[in-house]
Amino acid sequence: MDENKGAVRRGYRLTRRQFLAASSAAAAIAACGPAATPAPSGAATGTATASPGPALKIGQLLPFTKVYAELGNSMKRATDLYVKQKGGKLANRPVTLIYEDEANDPVVGAQKTGKFIDQDRVDVMMGIVATPIAYAVRNAIDAAKLIFIETNAGGNALTRTTTNCTPSCKSKYIFRTSFSSYQISYPIGEYFATKKGVKEVFTFVADYGFGNESAADFTTGFTKGGGKITGSLKAPLGSADFLPYVTTLKGQQTKDIYSFFSGTDAINYIKAWTQLGMPAAGYKMNGAGFLTEQDVLKEVKEQANGAVTSLFWAVTLDNAENKAFVDAYQKEYSLLPDVFAVQAWDGMQAIDLALQATKGDTTNKDAFIAALENVKFKSPRGDFEFDKETHNPIQDMYIREVKVQGGQAVNTIVDKVARVIDPGK
Amino acid sequence: MRRLVAPAAAAIAAALLVTFPIWSSAWESSRYATTILQSMLVVAILALSLDLLVGSAGMPSLGHAAYFGAGAYAAAIAGQRLGSDDLLLGLGAAVLISALLALAIGAVAVRATGIFFLMLTLAFAQMVFAIAFQAADITGGSNGFSGVRRPTFVGLDFNDATALFHLVAVAFLLVLALIWRIRSSTYGRALVGLRENERRMRALGYDTTRLKLSAFVLAGAIAGIGGALQAYSIRFVSTNDVGVARSVEAFVSVLIGGVSTLLGPVFGAVVVVFIERVLDSYIPYADTVLGVVFIVFVLAARQGIVGLARVTYARVRA
Amino acid sequence: MTLETAVVQALNGISFGALLFILAAGLSLIFGMMDVVNLAHGGFYMLGAYVTLAVVQRTGQFWLALLLAPLLIGALGLLIEPLLLRRLRGRHLDQVLLTIGMSLVIADLVGLTFGREIRSIPFPTGLDHSITIMGGDYPAYRLFVIAFGVALAVVLALVHRRTRLGALIRAGVDDAPMLAALGVDIDRLFAVTFAVGAALAGLAGVIAAPVFGIYPGMDVDYLIYSLVVVVVGGLGTLSGSIAGAALIGPVDTFGRVLFPQFALALIFAIMALVLLIRPTGLLGRIRIAR
Repeated sequence: MDENKGAVRRGYRLTRRQFLAASSAAAAIAACGPAATPAPSGAATGTATASPGPALKIGQLLPFTKVYAELGNSMKRATDLYVKQKGGKLANRPVTLIYEDEANDPVVGAQKTGKFIDQDRVDVMMGIVATPIAYAVRNAIDAAKLIFIETNAGGNALTRTTTNCTPSCKSKYIFRTSFSSYQISYPIGEYFATKKGVKEVFTFVADYGFGNESAADFTTGFTKGGGKITGSLKAPLGSADFLPYVTTLKGQQTKDIYSFFSGTDAINYIKAWTQLGMPAAGYKMNGAGFLTEQDVLKEVKEQANGAVTSLFWAVTLDNAENKAFVDAYQKEYSLLPDVFAVQAWDGMQAIDLALQATKGDTTNKDAFIAALENVKFKSPRGDFEFDKETHNPIQDMYIREVKVQGGQAVNTIVDKVARVIDPGK
Repeated sequence: MRRLVAPAAAAIAAALLVTFPIWSSAWESSRYATTILQSMLVVAILALSLDLLVGSAGMPSLGHAAYFGAGAYAAAIAGQRLGSDDLLLGLGAAVLISALLALAIGAVAVRATGIFFLMLTLAFAQMVFAIAFQAADITGGSNGFSGVRRPTFVGLDFNDATALFHLVAVAFLLVLALIWRIRSSTYGRALVGLRENERRMRALGYDTTRLKLSAFVLAGAIAGIGGALQAYSIRFVSTNDVGVARSVEAFVSVLIGGVSTLLGPVFGAVVVVFIERVLDSYIPYADTVLGVVFIVFVLAARQGIVGLARVTYARVRA
Repeated sequence: MTLETAVVQALNGISFGALLFILAAGLSLIFGMMDVVNLAHGGFYMLGAYVTLAVVQRTGQFWLALLLAPLLIGALGLLIEPLLLRRLRGRHLDQVLLTIGMSLVIADLVGLTFGREIRSIPFPTGLDHSITIMGGDYPAYRLFVIAFGVALAVVLALVHRRTRLGALIRAGVDDAPMLAALGVDIDRLFAVTFAVGAALAGLAGVIAAPVFGIYPGMDVDYLIYSLVVVVVGGLGTLSGSIAGAALIGPVDTFGRVLFPQFALALIFAIMALVLLIRPTGLLGRIRIAR
């Protein structure tokens, strides 16, 4: 365990050096500036034996400061690893990665997106952790006809048709390799009511757009299956003390609690849960998968024992691609990957395969979009494909339970809801 | 002759600023530079308005983003609800709402001074933040308000990026001119009197509470214009725009530029935006640089950037 | 709310209040003595938490961190005061800018050194169990926090009232220039005060780390909490920060669960209300800094 902690620090240093490398590359680009948009590649770059095609510029907008910084680092690690494995080239085009910090502020996110469009003139944009930032830049991306692969933010509206495009709506240029709130919340609700035989649930979620969406979608799935929601409680993001909340949960009778929390909130919640002896009192912790994702689990360890969550991936997932991915990631960085890494990894895979289909061409947007729409591959999470209608992934949802195996707390797969498709049109 | 030099230089500088996207267009970074300049001008408007309080009247408000954000939301919501893209309507709504908000909060806050004033303005701003966060039906809550419509004005369509820059630059210049006028007016001197010695001002027959409140409302209204312009620029308003980080950004812009100098807040905004949103593309420790810049300036330049420039100028001439 | 729940919530509120007191004590001291609003207080608090993380990772000794962190951060304070702060005496706005600058540097360097992962440390051995209260489990550590808070208040009160340093502080809070005129070495006194204030922030970082967690942005979150406590209680007095923490802790705890929709603005609403009724805080004297 201690060894692992050291590794985390080592991994971080490595990342920083790479960050500098990438940054100086970006600086060089800014200094020279592209005199024109990269020349169309076309057929000349088709085969591996041909001389390298024009640089493929990928702009990654990720958080490297503020509370989501480690999510950004994780996604960057996966991206760098993918490019490294491919020898620095996708479809024979040498890859230039440009990383920008979104600083968890839509104003900064919008400005950096402008940099990708006007200054760097990237071929593809990826990233964005926070849903409001994705919503903030959606129109600019759509107007610029820039291909954007969303690799985290899960707000439902980003891949749906909505009234007046409020708060956001799908775009033919936007694809998502992560998930929608619906996907990680509705199926587990239905599953609880129909397959697990849970009659009553109390919801306790983070009081912001995403937490509320998760609670609503869970409630729909659960009540549709015949379950009953007996009450709800909300906590602001970044609540210091979770004891008052858990005390309230303990003061009511419903034993099954559904939660959406992530990061620090999830850690403080789970710790307060154990401290007040909730498991012994018969309460059961359930939630959307981020509640017990790797970043949380490595801190709370066995305190999360027994928590049931749904997510499209788990580090223990038993398939060849996942095993290869986890091994390679561990070998490179001496630490376990998390779901954020998988999302970025699959974003790179999707681009890679689409590029191969277009023989490296990104200038014909419609052809590139069609290629992306037709991408199908084996992801570490299982079968991956985009819903052609919405560009949201069609993916299996795993019902996971935290168990202590060999002294380590891990998410084990207990069941699966196959091919979950977001109901957006 | 000398009397003409300064106004002529100012006019040339103003013209160069407004036409930046045009004369820089041959430069391949022109568009992104324009974007950055535009956000600098928006933050500069916010900082200029705050300096009316911090610098002139000696009222250190740490909740100025409340009025900036209120203006942003007001312009966005007015455009959506009234179905009109008229610029005057949008800006009018921004000024009205942020002035009213400043009036309501100011009526209570201006009774306090010093740290109590600072904390009260922060407290009210956090309440405004909470309202913006919770009133999701109106503001979009934590998801933000997207699809802000860009305005039109007597045949000018600000959907065009260059036209929008002209708008922001002209608004900035008008605000600058307004602040310059205020500073040289009796009203402006009365505000400085407040900072220097409030008791004496009262003895001289000034209703100091009213004077402070009027400054608070005026500063709020100008901040609201800044907010509206940002909403038009990025076509999005988020709760960050009423958050404490935005307030602090404005506050440090004022302090680093030089309190109670006309151009100080502008330079401060330029420095802060450059380090936080531009330099950070190239170094992973931009916050450290920003912090060190604050420390160095505080120790080396008593009157901020402008003060430093003055001292240097005096030395060069001597 | 049943009686059991109410009692447990009251305990939650009191222990939260105790944490807030530990957090605010140093800020209050520096303010009262030096007339400086130290906005780097959150940065010192953050440093305390990260020193704890480093010590616990390497040695597993929480109690060592409890000793080490305040010493290290106090030493840092002892350096900062004469090097940076001393030259800005009486210049309030410059002090604000300086301390904001310091906190930016601290937070960024902490992020670059320790990484920006969210971290958590376990409760120290001996306090990692639960105690039965009202028929249910209650974390022993939270009771320890209450005891620690009370003990710290007692110790500070004794220093304040019974020692020469305390007498100097009391005199300094009333009129520092007079103290200087009487031949007291104000420079040394201020350096020591700042160091003690910083050390108290570091101490708060140690005590709070197992409860609140360790993450980028923690500095700003808890700076705001401590400012609110100090202002609500009355600036610069020990009794003021005790009163502020005793009010904010329980009210915030009950308010959050009774009116969750107002949770975000709760402590600020309390602060505004207190300041409207008592413009200098609960126990504040007229003393105004700009």
